Amino acid sequence: MKFYPYKRLNRPITLRVTSASLKLPDGTRDHLDTSAYSIPQRTVALGVAQHEDWISARIGLSATLPPGATDPDAPWSDLRVVAVLTDGDTNVRTTVDLRQDAPASKEWSGEIEVLRDDHVGRASLAVHAVATIDDVPGRSITETDGDWTVDVAAEEPVGGLRLDVKQASFSKSAREWLRPYADAPWAVDASGRLPLVMINTDVEGFSDLLGGESGGIENKIHELLVSQMATDVWTAVFHSAVGDLEVEPDGSPVFPTDWRGEVLREMLPDIVPGLRVEEALRQVHRRRTGDSGWVELQSRVHYAAVRRAGAGKALANVLRALQQMNREDSE
Amino acid sequence: MIEKPHHVPERLGLLSATAADPYLTEDLLKGVQGHGGVDLAKVVEPLPEDDARWSVEPLRDLVDDAKYQFKDNRTDADSWLAPRLHATLRLTRREAADKRIWNHLALAVAPDYVAWRHAPAPTQGGSEPRINPARFKGAPDRQCFSRLWWAAEMFRNGQDYAPVVAACANQDLIHNALRMDLVDHRPTAQALVRVLERGIAGTGREINGLMTAINIAGATLVYDALAPDEPRDPEALRQWIAEAESAPPVPRHDLPTGPDEEPVPEKSVATLTEYFAELFETAPVRGRVPQA
Repeated sequence: MKFYPYKRLNRPITLRVTSASLKLPDGTRDHLDTSAYSIPQRTVALGVAQHEDWISARIGLSATLPPGATDPDAPWSDLRVVAVLTDGDTNVRTTVDLRQDAPASKEWSGEIEVLRDDHVGRASLAVHAVATIDDVPGRSITETDGDWTVDVAAEEPVGGLRLDVKQASFSKSAREWLRPYADAPWAVDASGRLPLVMINTDVEGFSDLLGGESGGIENKIHELLVSQMATDVWTAVFHSAVGDLEVEPDGSPVFPTDWRGEVLREMLPDIVPGLRVEEALRQVHRRRTGDSGWVELQSRVHYAAVRRAGAGKALANVLRALQQMNREDSE
Repeated sequence: MIEKPHHVPERLGLLSATAADPYLTEDLLKGVQGHGGVDLAKVVEPLPEDDARWSVEPLRDLVDDAKYQFKDNRTDADSWLAPRLHATLRLTRREAADKRIWNHLALAVAPDYVAWRHAPAPTQGGSEPRINPARFKGAPDRQCFSRLWWAAEMFRNGQDYAPVVAACANQDLIHNALRMDLVDHRPTAQALVRVLERGIAGTGREINGLMTAINIAGATLVYDALAPDEPRDPEALRQWIAEAESAPPVPRHDLPTGPDEEPVPEKSVATLTEYFAELFETAPVRGRVPQA
C-alpha cells in the first residue's frame, strides 16, 4: 500500500486499444484488423500482417477515467490524461496527451506512435491522469493498474514467455557452439534476447514427429516432448535471470527490465510462496550468493518449471493414450 | 598485459554470449593473455556486406587513439570516447539493443581496450584480480562499449554531444542513471547534467542521493507532464545513419555532430533543473550533515 501526500482517486483508469495501423516504407498505411490486439491479454501484436519493414505504427487508444475525476468540486485542476510507452530494452519513453471526448466526459482518446527503429520486442503502455493539486502541477491522481504490452514482432497478441525454436543438425551446424552437443536431442540457449531452443535434426525422425499433424499417439508424444523441452527452458531461463541480477548500492537486487523480469515475476510465487515478488527475489538472491539454501531451492525451481510447462497434463494424456492402445490390442 | 589481437576482423559481426563464452578464458580475465582471434571468427554471424557502418577500421583507430591519449588517466577516456563511438558506430536503438554486436566489438575487435580500461581488480573473497566478465559481455550499462554508446545516446541533446562529456565525467551518474528509467525522459537527463554543471550536486554520493530523490518523487509526479519533450522524428536519425557511408572519421579534438533531431525544449530543462535543485536541498545524502 502506497501513501500519497495528497488526495487521489482510488480506482484505476481502464485502457483499451481501438485500432492499429502501420506506415510502410512506400508511404502507404496498412490498417490492421482487430486480430492484431487482444483486450483480455492486453496485448498488441504488430507483426500480425508480417510486413518485413515498417516505419512506424499508430495505435488508437481509448481511456475511461474512474468516477470523480471530472467532478466540478474535485480538489484538482488542469486535468490531463497522458499515455506513456516505455521499453526497457531500448530505454525509449514516448508520451502523448489524450483528448477528452466531450466536456466533463470520463472518456478520453488519442493515438500513440510506435517507431520501428526504437523497439526490439515488447514495450509497455500505461495511462496516467495528471492534475495540479495544492499548487503542485504534474501530480499523478490515478493510472491504469495493468500495463498493455505492445509487441513489435509478435504475430499473435498473446502474453507469456516467448521462445525462439530453430532446427539444425548439431554435428554440421554453422553455429559451432552446438557441435559439442551433437548427441543431445535439443539444446537451450538462455543468453539471447529471447530464449532459444535448438532442435537437433541429427536425431532421425525427430523433426517429423515434432512437425507432424498425424494425430493419435504421435501427437500425444509430441506434446510430452514439448512439455519436456519447456521444462528445460523454464529452468534455464530462471537460472539465467537470477544469475545476472543487477544489485542496488544497498545490496538489494533489481528486477531486470526484459523478459528475464517477466520470468522472475511469473515463477517466484511458486518458488518462494507467500511473499511479495520483491521480497521473494531478495530471498532467492541471498540464497544464491550467500552460503546456504541454494541447493534446497532447486526442487522448488524445478516444480515451478514443471507447472508452467504443463508436464503433468502432457504425461497424463500419453498414459491415457497408451492405455487405450493396449486395450484395443487386447480386444 | 592484453595486446591488440593478431587477427582483427575487417567487419563487425554478431557474437552471441553462448558462443563467446569459451573465449572468455581465465587468462584473458586475469589480464595475462588474449585468445587467438582466428577460431572466434567461425562462431560470428556476419552482418550485411553492403553496409559501411560495420567496417571495423574506424572503431579500431578510435580505441587506439583513446589508449594513447589517456594512458595516464583511463577513466577520462570515457568522456572522450563516448560521443566519438556514438558518432562512428551509427545505430538505431533497436540495433544497439542487440548485445551480440557489443560482444563482438569487445572480444574480437578490442579486447585490449577492455582490459586496459577495466583492468583486473581484486574480487570479493580476495582471489586473484580479474576483469569483470560483464565488461566483455554483460548488461548494456556494464559492458565496456555499450555503456558508452548508451550514455551518449541518453545524454546527447539532439545533435549536441556536449552534455555527454559532462555526464561521463561523473562515473556515478552514468553508472546509475542508465540503470534507472529516469533518464529515458530526455528533459530529465538534460536537467541532471545541468545540476552537475552548476555544481549544485557534484560528488558521486550527491548525485546518487539526488537520483534516488527524483525517483521517489516520481511516484507521485509525472515528469512528462511537468516538462514536455518534442516527439521523436525517425527521419532525422535514418538520414544520419545513411550518411555513415560518406562520413569522414570523427574529429579527435572537436566534438562530432549527432543526428539532426530537435533539441530538448529549453523551458522543460529549466523547469526540471529548478525542481531538482530544490529537491536536492532536502534529499538525504550519505555523509552530508542535514542543514538546519
